[in-house]
Amino acid sequence: MAEPYLRVENLVKRFGPFTALGGVDLEVFPGEVHCLLGDNGAGKSTLIKTLAGVHQPTEGKIYIEGKPVTFRSPRDASAAGIGTVYQDLALNPLMSVTRNFFMGRELTGPLGSLRMNEMNKIAHDEMLKIGIDFSDPTQAVGTMSGGQRQTLAIARAIYFGAKVILDEPTSALGQRQQMGVLKTIKRVRARGDIAIIFITHNEIHSRLVGDRYTFLALGKTIGAGTATEIGDKEMRRLMSGGAEMGDLKAELDAI
Amino acid sequence: MADQSEANRLQQETAFQKILRRPEIGSFVVMIIIIAALAIASDGKAFNPLGLKNNIAIIAQYGIIATGAAVLMIAGEFDLSIGSMIGFAGMSMAMMLKWGLPFGLGEATPAAAFFITLAMTLGIGWVIGMIVVRSGLSSFIVTLAFLFFLRGVTEVCFRLINQSTQISGLQDFKLESWFADIMGGEVFGWFYDIWFALGGNLNRNGEQWVHGFDARFFWWIVIAGVSYFVLSRTQIGNWIYATGDNKEAARANGVPVDKVKVGLFMFTAFCATMFAACQVYDTNTSDAAKGNLMELFAIAIAVVGGTLMTGGFGSILGVVFGAITVGLVANAVFFIPAIDGAWFRVFLGGILLAAVFANERIRKRITGGI
Repeated sequence: MAEPYLRVENLVKRFGPFTALGGVDLEVFPGEVHCLLGDNGAGKSTLIKTLAGVHQPTEGKIYIEGKPVTFRSPRDASAAGIGTVYQDLALNPLMSVTRNFFMGRELTGPLGSLRMNEMNKIAHDEMLKIGIDFSDPTQAVGTMSGGQRQTLAIARAIYFGAKVILDEPTSALGQRQQMGVLKTIKRVRARGDIAIIFITHNEIHSRLVGDRYTFLALGKTIGAGTATEIGDKEMRRLMSGGAEMGDLKAELDAI
Repeated sequence: MADQSEANRLQQETAFQKILRRPEIGSFVVMIIIIAALAIASDGKAFNPLGLKNNIAIIAQYGIIATGAAVLMIAGEFDLSIGSMIGFAGMSMAMMLKWGLPFGLGEATPAAAFFITLAMTLGIGWVIGMIVVRSGLSSFIVTLAFLFFLRGVTEVCFRLINQSTQISGLQDFKLESWFADIMGGEVFGWFYDIWFALGGNLNRNGEQWVHGFDARFFWWIVIAGVSYFVLSRTQIGNWIYATGDNKEAARANGVPVDKVKVGLFMFTAFCATMFAACQVYDTNTSDAAKGNLMELFAIAIAVVGGTLMTGGFGSILGVVFGAITVGLVANAVFFIPAIDGAWFRVFLGGILLAAVFANERIRKRITGGI
């Protein structure tokens, strides 16, 4: 097996007396979709924010291609090739697709002028690569659907050198748009060089796109493995925080 | 594919429909109506050689400060200190011209008075910007504080140093200083020369009547032109829009949000200083009440020109149309003596309200009705 691009070892994150992550391990390989599963409050978002450089780990190590790294800011993380697609996607609705695509990293010519035609073309081509053919990159992002915005954010992260995409789609997407997100993930995976960490609590979605799974509950890894290793029954058990269905039934019956 | 069909739902528009959707269209139509109405009501006097010069003088004045206010509003902030900054800058320049440089450094040349004043106003703009970005307080309240503070400082300085809140009777610096002349002199004389050569522009003795526009016309064109270029064609322009639209998204993508804002507070201070310099070197006077209420006119014109109150959207071209509209109406009383001058404010209130509603519709259309 190839070397993981990103490896996390015994990651602990405490906020004062509260332990949000109590020792998490994670291995992410290029060209794979790694589903991060767990209930609300399991520590998924804290883990993602730590990987994105928003939080600094209390203990534990993060390795990129085998070398230990420390992220002091989101800038460090993106320099190391970790691109985050946040729930709000960090997009500006009143601005055009191109202007959003290059926000903060514009291509400039003399006097700081924008090379607009070139930028329009790149934005169009990069989005086409992962599945959206935008006839007009000058249209405002506010007119796009949630799934399209997600694609824009992912295309932007890849273009600016992300090797690992941390994707936490908002749960406020409609059924069709969720399918759009899954399609985009599939297309990114097909490139072969990008790893995706897909955060979800939807079992069916993770089955549809996932190559490898890590289950979190109460800030700890309670299970991990490839799609073939983890069967449906095991998955259901881990999704419910490690309890058996029977246990849950008993718990409910007791009320 | 699902995504493609969704993208295709965006209607293809004709060129004419695109023009109708531009944010400037409202202010453009209003401007055309006002120009036509004024031309008819004043029997053409509003656009005879002197009328045109006088109208452009006030339009350019409004235009200079409205440009600064609009760019700052696009970045999501307000500056209520513009008017007091005009008073302060005018006081500072006139005071140096009358009483000499501070600390007894001798006589002040017009250029020295301007640049020392500019250094102070840019410094104040920087302080305002730093307070706003560091404290996270609303710029409305911070700049309101500076509205009172600067007006107070201006009056106190006048009384302490000059024993009067006015300076008048200064020599005409334009005659000997080229710097005073480019600020307060006349520009585009060729326009009136051609008019004269074509047989118009005559006074009662049959000589050439008007010789040029006020210099502030030139400065307005420069400020609006540079702002238009920066805003629509440069990286900094993209940062300004990004800052005003969603500050956190801009920050997450590496846009130096705070620097953009501080820089724009300095830009409004610069515009106020240019306004004051054109006034001081034109009339060779200054007064503690100069620039009163100008911050509100600047914001009103920016809104009439299509700038969103919430930031992230706006156009310099629209502000140009807005300045022309408001300037013409402000001056209309001189050409149509029958009307009461106060109607100007009635009109301004009316179009301001109409513009706010129109802008809100634009915003909703762009953001998909959210």
